[in-house]
Amino acid sequence: METLNFLMQGFEVAMRPENLLMALFGAFVGTIVGMLPGLGPINGVALLLPLAFALGLPPETALILLAAVYLGCEYGGRISAILLNVPGDAAAVMTTLDGYPLARQGKAGIALSLSAVSSFIGSIIATCGVVLFAPLLAKWAVAFGPAEYFVLMIFAIACLGGMVGDKPMKTLMAALIGLALATVGVDSTTGVYRFTFGSVSLSDGIQFVIVVIGFFSVSEVLLMLEKTHNGQKAVKASGRLLFNFKEFTFTFWTMVRSAVAGFVIGTLPGAGATIASAMTYMTEKRMAGSTGKFGEGDLRGLAAPEAANNASACGSLIPMLTLGVPGSGTTAVMIGALTLYNITPGPLLFEQQPDVVWGLIASLFIGNVILLVMNIPLVGLFSRMLSVPNWVLVPAITVISMVGVYAVHSTTFDLVLMVGLGVFGYILRKLDFPLSALILGFVLGELMEDNLRRALSISAGDLNILWHSPISLGLWALTAVMLGMPGLRWWRARRAAQLANV
Amino acid sequence: MYVRLFAASWLLFCAVLAVIAWGFQAPFAYDPVGPRAYPLLLLALMAAGSLWLLLKPGLLEQRFNRRAALRATLCVLTLLAYALLFETLGFVISTALAAFALGLLFTGRPIPCAITAVLMGVLLYVLFDYLLDVPLPLGLFEAFVES
Repeated sequence: METLNFLMQGFEVAMRPENLLMALFGAFVGTIVGMLPGLGPINGVALLLPLAFALGLPPETALILLAAVYLGCEYGGRISAILLNVPGDAAAVMTTLDGYPLARQGKAGIALSLSAVSSFIGSIIATCGVVLFAPLLAKWAVAFGPAEYFVLMIFAIACLGGMVGDKPMKTLMAALIGLALATVGVDSTTGVYRFTFGSVSLSDGIQFVIVVIGFFSVSEVLLMLEKTHNGQKAVKASGRLLFNFKEFTFTFWTMVRSAVAGFVIGTLPGAGATIASAMTYMTEKRMAGSTGKFGEGDLRGLAAPEAANNASACGSLIPMLTLGVPGSGTTAVMIGALTLYNITPGPLLFEQQPDVVWGLIASLFIGNVILLVMNIPLVGLFSRMLSVPNWVLVPAITVISMVGVYAVHSTTFDLVLMVGLGVFGYILRKLDFPLSALILGFVLGELMEDNLRRALSISAGDLNILWHSPISLGLWALTAVMLGMPGLRWWRARRAAQLANV
Repeated sequence: MYVRLFAASWLLFCAVLAVIAWGFQAPFAYDPVGPRAYPLLLLALMAAGSLWLLLKPGLLEQRFNRRAALRATLCVLTLLAYALLFETLGFVISTALAAFALGLLFTGRPIPCAITAVLMGVLLYVLFDYLLDVPLPLGLFEAFVES
């Protein structure tokens, strides 16, 4: 009951005209950013974050804007996946498998509308999950002391390493680089300057906005340079534009199943939408067995990843809001946004800033409705935007990035640092290091060190405090499982290879 | 190969940073850990990771492509020049120049690129500075505008 009251209060916040306007704007921008190949939710949020800050938006409005962009990207990613066979963002890779064949069969309209509804159902189920579970978890999370937090963050990083699969070592390295970047600047407890190399501009650390824009926008521009070629043609959405009732009932349970699974995966810290969509696609494929036409245009193969990636996007807000530990790269950026406003996400957020939390949750409902309404009739308009050539797009991204970074401190140093980090990020990406792990590490870095040192201050330097309580012991156990997973997979693959050889 | 190269240079970098980090000492002991332990721990872990990658770099399908590398270098130089001239030349001029150069790099034709570049410089300045209240440097235009 209490929750319902809070939710009502949240709707009141979200329905304020300026917040509605921001949700609408965010949804629109998000869809476009998500749709453009190469640009994903992190880029969208990263581009708008400095703007929101520079505009002096109040925290709840800024968060609503960013959440709308996040959701919008998950909606938008599918458009280019279906029409171009190019995933608009990483999570839409699975959508191309069945979406593009459907478009080739002249069912682009059906595929687009059905995937919009899948996205909608996925998000709504997950948002209901957020409403139900977030307050519970927040209450429970109050029991977390600094030692437990420290272990939780180790778990989050281990999750990344364990889930991202084929390159656990590189993922962990990327997270460590992120953690190390966060140590630059004045040490908050003792006031010692660390890794500043005598530069005044580095003394309060590398600004979060610069890291995000450098690593994501600038390195993206460099990556796009290689992929620029002309003559990519989108399939025209023609024929029947809306799916019929039979197609809807055929895929309904797939959507619900995938949404629930996506939500659960999303709530795990570190595991995000990409993993959710891949896992649900595989599950549905296995469940359908030989009756499915997966890979040749099965509607279920379209519905499953779309429902799952939106559900996990919403689900990843849970660890962010309740624990202050991001569930995905994008929520890591959003945590950075909150800290810019001097709000520390965590269990107390629900008591201290109910407007922010519940306004955000309510705006998820509203944002989804806006996106659904916007996406079905406006698909033609959006798909026309796919033809914006790179020679217009790239300069625009560059200029907006520069303005975003310049707005923080107004120094040339920051701009040069951004370019430098961008080049570094580009090299890391060429070498296959996942940058989302890096950004997660960067966000967690300061929190992690603070919590470790606070814990050890409590125990007067005794390391035992780190595995003292049942919560931390449980988290250590889970961490061990996550770290063991790549090893297990490797062992199973080897055994399968041996069996095949015999 | 490239991963090995990266891992080796990162290992060296870690060593240098570790030497620097060794010097972090607080004048008073505020907490039992101090400012030195955590960065050193991270550096040690990173060094271990680099060693692992040095020994087992894994597969990487990446070919060095001279043309692509040249274009990437040009792009980086453009961005650097843009960053350095942002304040001196002012937003409008530096943006127009950078957008033009980037447009050309991304296979645009010169005249449409020039048009969009100039439009971008002027329109985005108006958008950010007047409508969105993000202060941007005027640079060379300062003389023309009374403030």
